[in-house]
Amino acid sequence: MTRRAWVRLDNASNIFLAARSDVDPKVFRMSAEMDHEVDGELLQQALDATFDRYPLYHAVLRKGLFWYYLQDSDLRPQVQAEVQPTCAAIYRENRRELLFRVMRHRRRIVLEVFHALSDGTGALAFLRELVIAYARARTAAGPAPAGDGDPASTSSGPAVDPTSRHGRGLFVDPFARYFRRERRPSAAASAAEASAFVRAATPAGLPEGLPAEEPAASPRRRMVGRGPRRHETHVHRVPGTRTPDGRTRAVELTVPVAELLATRPEGVGTTMHLTALLFEAVRRSAGDLGRARTLAASVPVNLRQFFPSTSSRNFFTALRVEHTYGEGPDDLGAIGRQLEADFRPQIEIGALEERLRRLMGLERMPVLRIIPRPLKDLVLGLVNRVNNRALTVAVSNMGPVRLPEDVADQVRRVSFQVSAVRPQICVISYGGWLSITFTSPFLETGHVREFARLLTAQGIPVSVAATRVTEAELAEGAG
Amino acid sequence: MRRCPDCGVSVEGAWSRCPLCGRTVMGPMRPDPYPTVPLRFSRRRIYRILLLASLVVILASFGAQMLFDRGHAGIGLVRSVWLGLSAMWLVVLMAVRARRDIAKGTASVVVLICGICAYWDYLVGWDGWSLTYAVPIVCGCSILALVIAVPALRIEAGDHVLYSGTMVLLGLVPIVFTALGWVADPIPSVSCGALAVIVLVMQERARVSDVLHELGKRLHI
Repeated sequence: MTRRAWVRLDNASNIFLAARSDVDPKVFRMSAEMDHEVDGELLQQALDATFDRYPLYHAVLRKGLFWYYLQDSDLRPQVQAEVQPTCAAIYRENRRELLFRVMRHRRRIVLEVFHALSDGTGALAFLRELVIAYARARTAAGPAPAGDGDPASTSSGPAVDPTSRHGRGLFVDPFARYFRRERRPSAAASAAEASAFVRAATPAGLPEGLPAEEPAASPRRRMVGRGPRRHETHVHRVPGTRTPDGRTRAVELTVPVAELLATRPEGVGTTMHLTALLFEAVRRSAGDLGRARTLAASVPVNLRQFFPSTSSRNFFTALRVEHTYGEGPDDLGAIGRQLEADFRPQIEIGALEERLRRLMGLERMPVLRIIPRPLKDLVLGLVNRVNNRALTVAVSNMGPVRLPEDVADQVRRVSFQVSAVRPQICVISYGGWLSITFTSPFLETGHVREFARLLTAQGIPVSVAATRVTEAELAEGAG
Repeated sequence: MRRCPDCGVSVEGAWSRCPLCGRTVMGPMRPDPYPTVPLRFSRRRIYRILLLASLVVILASFGAQMLFDRGHAGIGLVRSVWLGLSAMWLVVLMAVRARRDIAKGTASVVVLICGICAYWDYLVGWDGWSLTYAVPIVCGCSILALVIAVPALRIEAGDHVLYSGTMVLLGLVPIVFTALGWVADPIPSVSCGALAVIVLVMQERARVSDVLHELGKRLHI
């Protein structure tokens, strides 16, 4: 009998299944804009090669009595034309389908991933490899672009090296590696084995070497972090009109990195500066905040930078920062510095360790493990709803993307967005350009307008691209 | 590129108005990086409401039978048709819902049909026809169906082994009915039991370890 490799879906990924809805299917998108119309055939070849090197992406999602699990499959992905709204649902119950899709539209190569499978960093590694493979195939297939030398001699990226971490690490039957260890009862495993298990099977949030501990906090804390919670009951939530068919409204702003950084107040990091700008934009578009003067943001943090991991699976934690208007200086610099002061202690390695130890204890709690899956979904869904009520926005910053020299010339822009239940920004930079994509389930773009105006008022050039969501906009776009 | 004089931004794509403020934009057009995707409305919610409404009506129909007289004389033509329609609708709903998983769907429909037959038998005064004929025949046929479907549809062993096992076990249940003396005619039960045993022997390839592997996966804590 064919025994397909499988791995249990961890809690961090389960939340995406519990929290998904028609409006927010928990899908994120990464795209690379080339300097030419994308060739579908070459992209398919590149996809085939990349797909072979990422066994995790072969997985389909199945349901067990207590957990969801990822199971290996023989499915192959096909490059599709972009005929669906951005971040359209990927996972459909009881269907064995891949949990990602690759599309092309004009100059863009688009990767959309169901968040239960992978996080932004994991997906970016896949996209990066796909783009490199595509660009090199194109260089090899046609006349080399002006200025390019021999691609082989200039190749500098590790992504197409067959011994690269994603390639080799997952190629050596990772499912079997994960699952065999995972199926072994961890209580019976020796300390060395437990450590090896954590190293091998850690998909999300559990750095090796952290002993499990009884959870000291409610599941709620797990979701939103340990940021200040002084004004929970008065957190402002952006109101809006849902888009007609529930699709995500995405507005992409592209700005030069250098000019944005030049206007950043001293002592404030880029993420907190953008968060401060977003808070200010939300405040301006809201007019009067009334009693809800606190604005709160969920800020996902990639844990690989603190706890090295080669896993493509979810490995991040969402922290929380907030600012209350009318309780001190409310200029951009002051907000940024206050947010930075809140944020910094949360990403100290000790604080993260403590937090992750707590999460690990929660995940291993026997009582929680034997709750049947549908009930887990229900509870996690409720926890997620409660969490959402204490958040205004979310800010996700992927940082800079770098590509090998021989490929870099062919790529103009990289962007990133995620389906959202509340206004959210996703930030990524490439080649001196910062792409800030606003997503929300609402028609209104008031906060985006204010954000863009805050930038242009400082002399920063802003380019806007937006998805069409209303009948009138679509009629104009089709015409 | 088109520009919005109010926001001071450049706009990509064929927007005649600024997507941020609605002001008319001017200048040469640059291609839109996003496609224009027509509105699409999901019927999922409608289907879900229809399904729930159907289930309520069906269960109410079954439950309502308890309010009337039992026995052959009591059930009458109208109630028979009413029950028949409800039962058929329920079986169709379940079969459609489980259509993507043949083994699981067959197993659940078999359990459902057997349950309905036993209930109907009870309503008409409990002659035992359900246990004597309906249950063994349905179980036997479903085992045969699965024996044909699994190779024909190339269903992977891991995907059906649990449900095939369940069906074979269900096929053995009529033997128990016979042993307990609940059946008027032992032939259907014994035939079904024999069929189950034959399939069990034939399917020796699907060993206990495979079943345990699947169970371990689905019941993993």
